[in-house]
Amino acid sequence: MDRETELTLVGRLRQGEADAFDEVYAAFSKPLFTFLIRLSRRRDVAEDLHEETWLRLVKHAGRLQADTRLGPWLFTVARNLHVSYRRSRALEDSATASLLGLWPVSARETSPFEETAASELERRIERALANLPAASREVLLLVAVSGLDQSEVADICGITPGALRQRLHRARELLADALERDAVRPPVLEGVPPCPSR
Amino acid sequence: MSESLIRRLGELPAAEPDITRTEHIRKRCHAHLARQRRRSLVSSLPPLGRRTTGERLAPVWQTGIAVLGFVYLAEVIRFALGVFSLT
Repeated sequence: MDRETELTLVGRLRQGEADAFDEVYAAFSKPLFTFLIRLSRRRDVAEDLHEETWLRLVKHAGRLQADTRLGPWLFTVARNLHVSYRRSRALEDSATASLLGLWPVSARETSPFEETAASELERRIERALANLPAASREVLLLVAVSGLDQSEVADICGITPGALRQRLHRARELLADALERDAVRPPVLEGVPPCPSR
Repeated sequence: MSESLIRRLGELPAAEPDITRTEHIRKRCHAHLARQRRRSLVSSLPPLGRRTTGERLAPVWQTGIAVLGFVYLAEVIRFALGVFSLT
């Protein structure tokens, strides 16, 4: 979307035009939902946060600045909603951690994309991405997947451009490491029983 | 490695919410925008129809208070002049 169109849409949104909302939704719904689903790793959570993001837009439509950049505005709201969600989850999790500790399973995080990935490499990338720390995952998603400018991403995350560059560098290293580790892991063949240990 | 990895990330498939959810979001947002439009329209219009009792009586009690204030002030000045034997 070019800047002129964006400014026109902001003006129309400020006047409460439903058609303008539809155009903005058509342009940003997919990247926003993709960002949220990879960030939260759960489709149901992503759907709720996605809906809340759009509701925030219409609630603030009348108060939008005339020069608002819609993409960064929406991603900032979505990211902040996810941060709030994680905080509330952390409280719940700390309350139940003692009980879950008794459950004998590993807590490896998976992504909804992992099961539907078209190729083995794609599956490995999704898996590695899903297991990155949230701060690393969000900068990679915003810069590499959503294609936002680094200055915009710094604003979205509330950090300086220098801090963003560092975080991005660290995130790339972590992702590369995770992919390397995944590559040397022996493949699990379905239907083949594991070798008996002596 | 790093650049190709970033390029790979950009090529990952996108996701979208299902159609019923999208429709639900659109309906809620449209309703909100319509409410907002109605509110701003109403607030920009001059008041219509009959005024309330309070609105009708406002000029009366405002005038009353002004008269009482004036009488009180005149009495204070008259009293002060009396104290200094100027009348």
